[in-house]
Amino acid sequence: MTTVFLFVLLFGCMLIGMPIALALGLSSIGTILLFSTDSLASIALKLFEALSEHYTLLAIPFFILSSAFLSTGGVAKRIIRFAISLVGHISGGIAMASVVACMIFAAVSGSSPATVAAIGSIAIVGMVKAGYPESLAAGVIGNAGTLGILIPPSIVMLVYSAATEVSAARMFMAGFLPGLLMGGMLMVVIYIVAKVKKIPCQPFSGFKELISSGFSASGGLMLIVIVLGSIYGGIASPTEAAAVSAVYAFWVAVYGYRDMGPLKNQPWRREGEGAGAMLWRNTTQIVITLPRLITDREINKVFLDASKVSIMLLFIIANAMLFAHVLTTERIPHSIAELIVGWGLSAWMFLIVVNILLLIAGNFMEPSAILLIMAPILFPIAVQLGIDPIHLGIIMVVNMEIGMLTPPVGLNLFVISGVTGNTMGWAIKACFPWLCVLLTFLVLITYIPQISLFLPEFFDKMRGY
Amino acid sequence: MFLRVVNRAEEAVICFFLFATTLVVFLDVVLRFGFNTGFMWSTELSLHLSAWLVLFGVSYGLKAGSHIGMDAFVKLFPRNVQRLLTGIGVILALVYCWLILYGSWVYITKMKAINLHMEDLPIPLYVAQSIMPIGFLFLSIRLLILLWALITNSAAGFKHADEAKESLELAKDITQGEGRA
Repeated sequence: MTTVFLFVLLFGCMLIGMPIALALGLSSIGTILLFSTDSLASIALKLFEALSEHYTLLAIPFFILSSAFLSTGGVAKRIIRFAISLVGHISGGIAMASVVACMIFAAVSGSSPATVAAIGSIAIVGMVKAGYPESLAAGVIGNAGTLGILIPPSIVMLVYSAATEVSAARMFMAGFLPGLLMGGMLMVVIYIVAKVKKIPCQPFSGFKELISSGFSASGGLMLIVIVLGSIYGGIASPTEAAAVSAVYAFWVAVYGYRDMGPLKNQPWRREGEGAGAMLWRNTTQIVITLPRLITDREINKVFLDASKVSIMLLFIIANAMLFAHVLTTERIPHSIAELIVGWGLSAWMFLIVVNILLLIAGNFMEPSAILLIMAPILFPIAVQLGIDPIHLGIIMVVNMEIGMLTPPVGLNLFVISGVTGNTMGWAIKACFPWLCVLLTFLVLITYIPQISLFLPEFFDKMRGY
Repeated sequence: MFLRVVNRAEEAVICFFLFATTLVVFLDVVLRFGFNTGFMWSTELSLHLSAWLVLFGVSYGLKAGSHIGMDAFVKLFPRNVQRLLTGIGVILALVYCWLILYGSWVYITKMKAINLHMEDLPIPLYVAQSIMPIGFLFLSIRLLILLWALITNSAAGFKHADEAKESLELAKDITQGEGRA
């Protein structure tokens, strides 16, 4: 009865278009008031505590801020140039380079649609020029762009760890190998397709270009090194690493790359300028323009955009914690778990059900909303069936990736059709062959837990647990 | 003019909270790794700054359309039915708001009566938590404004965030930049 009330109210509110945070909050409070003895004051306190007592959650606004600084066209161009000089000379090289570029940009931005938009708007045109069919180019980008939520640091993973209290650092370790594996799988398929279709490849551009483009892309690459290095090395918590990465991203975008801010388009070195004069000019420029940071339009916009997304996510999470509280006090997941164990459903069968359920949900809702509603339900069941929580998390994230490519709410499809100027139907067709690679990848991830668990267990062993 | 100043001030306050939260945690990291010292209160301060960011900003999110939701189902209907369904949604949201508002008010008056302070900061607990009723009061005002817009037929639904559309703006920036260069 309680369960029915809770879910009918929740889905009813969501159907009539209420913001998901409010729908979660209202259905949870309604259930608490009708079926339990908690007072309104204690519910209000719980909501406040959800926002003010979870240090890990602070990583979310910080990563959003750092990605807002670095999700720019300038950064995308530098990364693509580096990727082309790295793998451009192999057969199918440009398509492979765009996969590599997607992987790097995905790590920097943590968002799938942004990755597709930034890399896609440059790389699809480039691939078509190099002789690839446009549909192939779009399909590759659409799929590689989904890596945004799998390759750490990923905001969706932080949301999962918020919903289940699994360590965010371990999730970040677990996502790394699967991310590389999926990128590798896409590249192998591209190699085969390029050989069959005899797409011409480019000459190797030389080590000089590799090093110079690598240096130019290092602003973005270093961010990954700083964040993952400090988390994997056990030096800093994800929250601390995220704060550092936000400040670093600000520094790179405003003073390193000068894509925005008061020094926009001011070169580090003017033609014919001596080293001493360059150093003096840059130092004085940086000092003089410091006060202008506060009023700078673009920097203010980055902060406001990042705030909007952070507020939206954190408010959903706070309400989802109320929802999870109702689930636990009403023992809803536990009774489902007992039911499932009673049926004699084994772990692998349960995972099939999980995959199907998530793939369906992925067609209609945003990844973070799905995770926040489904994770508290699936998590206790999975634990009872002996499935590792980290493994479950990676499975859920991969399902969310696929959800970005399936209509009607496939975000990447919208972006692909917008970037190429083609219809949604065309975008679906273009992405479909590559989606099969992704589905194969999902099967691998689901039934070989070691792919996800190897790295976190390896780091545990290294630290002597 | 006055409204423009208020709007700008609201945005500035939101940006300030995000900026301050980031700065506090960043300085904490620098102090700890660089100088092996730190402040007891920095964790509590950063967490409360972020709570203020969220609760102060929720109502702004409703106005700016940055919350996420499903509008696929509602969009199936003609405009008047959309208005009706959204109106029901707004009223339910108002119920939620007022329940929390009432609950937090009861809680905070109790906190004020027993005069508790925060763990590490010398601030009374009720001051730190006062953003609960304030934030939800703002949210309910924005909901009432939306309700009025629905009645007068100047809006038909909640404004939801569209990540795909935002990403396409990034793509547009890039291609326009190419055109200039």
